Amino acid sequence: MGSKLAEKKRKSRASDSDSDDELANGLFDGVLSQSEDEDNFPSEDEDKDEDEDEDEDPDESESENSADSEDEIEEDDDAILSDDIPSDMDGEEKLEITEPGVDPKPKEEDKEEKNYRIEKSANGGVRYVYDEIDPVYDSDDSDAQGPVNTIGNIPLSFYDSYPHIGYDINGKKIMRPATGDALQSLLDSIEVPKGWTGLTDVNTGNPLNLTDEELELVRRVQTGLIPDDLHDPYPDTVEYFTSIEEKMPLSSAPEPKRRFLPSKYEAKQIMKLVRAIREGRILPYKPPEEREREEEEKEEVHFDLWQNEEPQAPNPMHIPAPKLPPPGYDMSYNPPEEYLPTKEEREQWENADPEDREKDYLPQKYTALRRVPAWAGLVKERFERCMDLYLAPRVRKNRLNIDPNSLLPKLPSPSELKPFPTVVQTVFRGHEGRVRSVAIDPSGIALATGGDDGTVRVWELLTGRQVWSVKLSSDEPVNTVRWRPTKDSFILAAAAGEDIFLMVPTHASVTPALDQASRDILAAGFGHAANGQQQAVPVGKEPPAKWARPGTKLEDEGVLIRITVRSTVKVINWHRKGDHFATVSPTGQRSAVAIHTLSKHLTQIPFRKLSGLAQTAAFHPLRPLFFVATQRTIRCYDLQKLELVKIVQPGAKWISSFDIHPGGDNLIVGSYDKRLLWHDLDLSNRPYKTMRFHSEAIRMVRYHKGGLPLFADASDDGSLQIFYGKVPNDQLENPTIVPVKMLKGHKVINKLGVLDLDWHPREPWCVSAGADGTARLWM
Amino acid sequence: MAKIKKKGQAGQAKNYITRTQAVKKLQISLPDFRKLCIWKGIYPREPRNRKKVSRSSTPSTTFYYTKDIQYLLHEPLLQKFREQKVLEKKISRALGRGDVSDAARLERNAARPEKTGKPRYTLNHVIRERYPTFIDALRDLDDCLSMLFLFANLPSTTAVPAKMIARCERLCLEFQHYLIVSHSLRKSFLSIKGIYYQANIQGEDILWLVPYKFNQRVVGDVDFRIMGTFVEFYMTLLGFVNYRLYTSIGLKYPPKFDAAKDDQAAELAAIALEGVNLATNNEPKAITNGEAEQGPDPKVQAEVDKLVRELRDEANASKDSEKTAEEGQDEDGETDEKPSDALDKFEPVAPGGDVLPQPSYSNNDPSQLFSRFTFYLSRETPRQPLEFILRAFGCKRIGWDSVLGEGAFTTDESDPSITHQIVDRPVVQAAMSAEGDGEDNQTAQKLEPNHRYPGRVYVQPQWVWDSINDEELKSPELYAPGAPLPPHLSPFVKPTQGQYDPTVPLEEQQTEREAIDAELEDANAEERSGDESEVENDMDVASEGDDEEAEEDDDEFGGFDEEEEEGSEDEEESAVLQRQRELEAEISGKSVKSKQTDAKTKAKLEAKKALERKQRQEAEDLERAKGMLSKKKRKLFEQMQYTNNKKSAEDMKLRAKRRRLEKEMAAKKT
Repeated sequence: MGSKLAEKKRKSRASDSDSDDELANGLFDGVLSQSEDEDNFPSEDEDKDEDEDEDEDPDESESENSADSEDEIEEDDDAILSDDIPSDMDGEEKLEITEPGVDPKPKEEDKEEKNYRIEKSANGGVRYVYDEIDPVYDSDDSDAQGPVNTIGNIPLSFYDSYPHIGYDINGKKIMRPATGDALQSLLDSIEVPKGWTGLTDVNTGNPLNLTDEELELVRRVQTGLIPDDLHDPYPDTVEYFTSIEEKMPLSSAPEPKRRFLPSKYEAKQIMKLVRAIREGRILPYKPPEEREREEEEKEEVHFDLWQNEEPQAPNPMHIPAPKLPPPGYDMSYNPPEEYLPTKEEREQWENADPEDREKDYLPQKYTALRRVPAWAGLVKERFERCMDLYLAPRVRKNRLNIDPNSLLPKLPSPSELKPFPTVVQTVFRGHEGRVRSVAIDPSGIALATGGDDGTVRVWELLTGRQVWSVKLSSDEPVNTVRWRPTKDSFILAAAAGEDIFLMVPTHASVTPALDQASRDILAAGFGHAANGQQQAVPVGKEPPAKWARPGTKLEDEGVLIRITVRSTVKVINWHRKGDHFATVSPTGQRSAVAIHTLSKHLTQIPFRKLSGLAQTAAFHPLRPLFFVATQRTIRCYDLQKLELVKIVQPGAKWISSFDIHPGGDNLIVGSYDKRLLWHDLDLSNRPYKTMRFHSEAIRMVRYHKGGLPLFADASDDGSLQIFYGKVPNDQLENPTIVPVKMLKGHKVINKLGVLDLDWHPREPWCVSAGADGTARLWM
Repeated sequence: MAKIKKKGQAGQAKNYITRTQAVKKLQISLPDFRKLCIWKGIYPREPRNRKKVSRSSTPSTTFYYTKDIQYLLHEPLLQKFREQKVLEKKISRALGRGDVSDAARLERNAARPEKTGKPRYTLNHVIRERYPTFIDALRDLDDCLSMLFLFANLPSTTAVPAKMIARCERLCLEFQHYLIVSHSLRKSFLSIKGIYYQANIQGEDILWLVPYKFNQRVVGDVDFRIMGTFVEFYMTLLGFVNYRLYTSIGLKYPPKFDAAKDDQAAELAAIALEGVNLATNNEPKAITNGEAEQGPDPKVQAEVDKLVRELRDEANASKDSEKTAEEGQDEDGETDEKPSDALDKFEPVAPGGDVLPQPSYSNNDPSQLFSRFTFYLSRETPRQPLEFILRAFGCKRIGWDSVLGEGAFTTDESDPSITHQIVDRPVVQAAMSAEGDGEDNQTAQKLEPNHRYPGRVYVQPQWVWDSINDEELKSPELYAPGAPLPPHLSPFVKPTQGQYDPTVPLEEQQTEREAIDAELEDANAEERSGDESEVENDMDVASEGDDEEAEEDDDEFGGFDEEEEEGSEDEEESAVLQRQRELEAEISGKSVKSKQTDAKTKAKLEAKKALERKQRQEAEDLERAKGMLSKKKRKLFEQMQYTNNKKSAEDMKLRAKRRRLEKEMAAKKT
């Protein structure tokens, strides 16, 4: 019954379709959707059925399904009919898809029913014009799905033993479609239905048949074409604007200027290009090889660079690079023989470090030009020149192109300035160890020396004969000996250690009267001391010095008084009248400088405090002034007013000795830093003249006191320098100082040379005491 | 109260700038800064007081003037450097992206002067700035020429592109051509380092050094980038200088360069000078005529030329040199004639050989010294310098062996027009003397190099140099092949008073003391050679005397410091010696011969003593005067004294050497 019903339905459908064909042959356009629609029909029906009667037997639905499937087949046929014509290609493909055993007859039959017309296109080709499709109202209803099997991923074979093949969305069983009877299957085996694939639709269990359209679709998808057959990738152009000019404007706005004025911006851009072309920045294209070749060939352009030259004053800061010196004779390939180095010179050059070499080449002689090799250092030399040019700081150095002798002062010849001592006359040997001090007596006959051996010796000046000797101390050296500077007596003061001895060295040449007078002078003080010493020294305070008799042994020898002070005495200087003498003991701090009065046997310490270590002290030869030298300065005190008069600053680091000119206005200072300084006391505190003649320290400086314009210094380098130093009577003139003679003779022992120096009171003679154990008389 | 000044805000601190600061200020890399400094001629300065200038403790800081650096700020080259830097950055970025084509495109725009020898920028403005006048440029040409001539002789390496070398070579050749045409070469000197040339252009003396034609070895660490920078600048400079020089004498610049000839080592001949006007200069024509005529068929042409030249020479030369030459050829076909012989015969050809002064030559312009001669350079002589010098001194016809390259007037040694041949090979005299007849072929071949063409003057190359330096043709006898050459003296040394001069006889320049010493020595030597028997005796006596003297010294110590005393002692000593000698003579029974022979010597000795005394006196005086100087002046004096003494010591050494050599020579002669 169901089948009949289906048959009926099919018939009506077929008629429908026929009628559709007549109307418009486009029903088969969307085949798949159509088939779906077909599928949907029963479901809709079902829905309706459900509405009407809930329980409908499965057979019914089954029959419906079968009917549907048959419908489908019918329609598929149509679709194939409608669609398999277009091209041979399609046909071939179809052949591939269809079963090999099937004959292509039905296709030929199908060809008779066409849903298109063949027309001639504009260019003479064949053109298929399809009939227009008339869409049915609900033809594209895709919402209503057929009975969708909801079994999911489970293979259909699980349901083989069941009448149903799964469940629809509502949980109802989907019945297995009828497989048809034997006849049907036989028919099927004879005639392969259209679109037969041999597959089973999973959802429905029906055999899955594909229409030609579907196959075509599959093919297109497979080949990567657009699935839609009708899509034309190359459509004809559609003119959006007509070429017909409208009479009336669309807008009444006035025509903008840009429509008819040339663009300034564009002009600008063009000018830019033009300029670039003109300037050669834009070049016409050339193949790269040609361009390279041209570039190579392009010469540097030369022109007269100095056409309108104008000389400029050179920049004062600019120092032009010095030119290399031209080659000398010794650089010749064939120099004169004398320029060739000796063996030693060659060795010396080769052993020297390349940087230390004076010349970078050794003169060499080649007998012929062909033998001259390449100079290996040429590139290096050039490179160094380059480095010098750009890296060496340039300094302008003024070369004094003068004769060096022009720098020297013009000194009068020493022969014009005679007399002065030049030769050693007598050598006084006898002291063991150094001779520390020498002194010539005021009459100029005797010479007293004191040395490291602790003895004081008196010699005959001219003959060098020792006439008197006394040993003052066994362990202390005699540091200084000085005669009392008056001719009415013959008294010698000597200092050994902390003791000062006053003695009368009696010998053959001393007249008894003079001897007696001297002894009287020395003895006179004892009485005075006995009277007044107690008052002078406050009780409880140690006296600055003790005056005493040295003992009978020494007294027999002629040593009459011993004065003991607090520290070692280094310097004794008498006042010109012979009543006072000053001693200096540099280590004595407060009591470093002491003034002793012979007539009163009195010792006074004039300074409570001294700034610096006292080095030496002296009385002014004419006025009551007292000079004390510390390391750096010499201070001048007025003995009457008891005040500081002047500070002389020689600028020396360490003053060793000084002497005052007999005229009283000039001063010479010797220093341990090798300098001899002449001071003009009236002029300045600073030295008038500085002289360096010695390579070692200066120990002693002395003016000649007998009216000759001479002075001398004694140095540790074993030499004495005699100067001519004339002090003019006129105050405005400067003193003349001329070095006249360097006296050399003393040996240097333990870096000590000449230690003391004294002038003869009248003659231009001087005596020096050397560290080599001798004293020498120079005349 | 005045405002307190801050430190480092004014004065020296502001005037100087360190190199690092300068580089930062200019915003360029150090190599670019170096380039800029080299080109603009900016060099470091030494501040008077380093402490005031910089606070840094590094002692090796380089300082520049701030003004100099400021002046660099406006340099157009700076912009070029920056552009280049940007380009390099772009290239490296493109390469980093792997965009090779882009990198290649950018690379095309990049200037690679180290590869191409051609930068994208020009240094014209820099040259104009540095040398406002042409004379300024000439003044600075010494280094430029030395550098370019060196580079022209360098082998091409990666650091020195071949193009740069070729360009240097060309510029140098052009410059040489100018010197030839203008006759401005003055002096030349063969030194061990190379050949020095001196030219005088517009009153400026230019001295440069050209290396000998050898492959230059590069020893030590030499940075060719720095040298390349210099060369770049110098090339531009010489280009403009050449232009100016060429145009100043009416020549076109650049001259025509024949690459084909240059490939055949034509050197000077590869460049053909052209006048600016169509009427070309006479002289350039003359230079090139030798080569130009060699066009069609060299042999035929050469013979034709020869004839023409002979005719011309005969017409030109007042003296019939050709005739004499031919006569000479007739007379002595013998090849092994002595050069002196030939000289005697062909004096007219080489007038320098004449004893009589020839006013015609001495009066002539020194630049035309060689204008009458045809030279032929033997294979072993240095062609380039000889060609250049000969041409520069007026010679127009120079031939050489074809081995030496293209461009010779003739390559045929037997060309009769040749008057002088420059030879630098030893004379193979042994073979000749041994086998005078020349029996077999081998000896003949051996004799070949010794072959002399009669009528020619054979000289060594030094003859050319000495001739041009003295501006007169030297006697070729002295420079004959194989002869020991006279010393080659530098023409650049200006004789100064008191300096040793090898050209002046020794007697004229030695000091008094040296003369006396030398004579004494002579006398001693004579004495020794005269009575050798007494030598031992004398020696003994002398030593005894010495001993005695020493003893004397010991016991009488005071003597050694006293000059007068010393002098007297010396006398004393000699007297003692004499006495001793007499005694000895008496004992041995001989007469006191030595005394008599000594008479002269004694006088000499006394003179020496007197001299010594004088010198001592002078030394003392000097010492006295020096003591009176102030410290500053004394330092200065001592410095001057030091250099003077050094110089005079050197001179003395030279004189002593020469004296010895002269003595040896004299001994050899006798």
